Amino acid sequence: MNKEIQVSISQKDEVSILNIKGDVTAITGESIEAAYQKVTTAGTKKILLHFDQDGYINSGGIAILIGIASESRKSGQTVRITGLSGHFQKIFNMVGLTKYTEIFPSEELALKDF
Amino acid sequence: MMMADSKVELHIPSIMGFEKVAMECSASVAKKMGFTKDRIEDLKTAVAEACLNAIEHGNKLDTSTKVGITLTVEESKLQVSVKDQGKGMNKVSTPSIESKIEGEDKPRGWGIFLIKSLVNEVSFEASPEGGNVTKMIIYLEK
Repeated sequence: MNKEIQVSISQKDEVSILNIKGDVTAITGESIEAAYQKVTTAGTKKILLHFDQDGYINSGGIAILIGIASESRKSGQTVRITGLSGHFQKIFNMVGLTKYTEIFPSEELALKDF
Repeated sequence: MMMADSKVELHIPSIMGFEKVAMECSASVAKKMGFTKDRIEDLKTAVAEACLNAIEHGNKLDTSTKVGITLTVEESKLQVSVKDQGKGMNKVSTPSIESKIEGEDKPRGWGIFLIKSLVNEVSFEASPEGGNVTKMIIYLEK
């Protein structure tokens, strides 16, 4: 019931874009982690997480994203976020994730001056 | 128009993912009551997190147990109680993003923080019949 996620990776200049379609939970988060590890191994320093406006994100999924934010700091990577609904932008602000990653209203704006 | 004191009850199995059933049900009730879209989103997250706590920490993912959700419609508010069959919950300290980012604390543990942040009133109690009950109240006007 919780395996509802698709994560694909695309490249735009120096930025690796993780396109995340579906629910972000402790279980589906493994797919996001795997994609993050893949681009990290490839040496990417700029990562954009592009979420699905209609996706469901729970506290388990938030924990996965905190893990990525933590690892990216250690690896000298910059992580940006786009595609979040207004509600989840509020949630990310509440937990403090926006201190470590910046949220953009569109992919175009997120890629600008990355 | 919903009648005041109407009740909706459902039971979900202690399997991760079924919290979405309770979440969507509570959203339907709140929509009927006239809650704004933003408050419905707040309610959905709070109900999902209460159910996840009940599934994972209360019922310890035991698939022979269930989580009971009761939605009580009142004049100007919606009360949601989420009951598990567990033996008491551990006290949870307020999470700190800094210590989680620095690796001093595990990244999980945001559920209760989110519930407290998103609803108007919340209590965590032991039920007299056994199990834990999370009671949440959300007002039509915040």
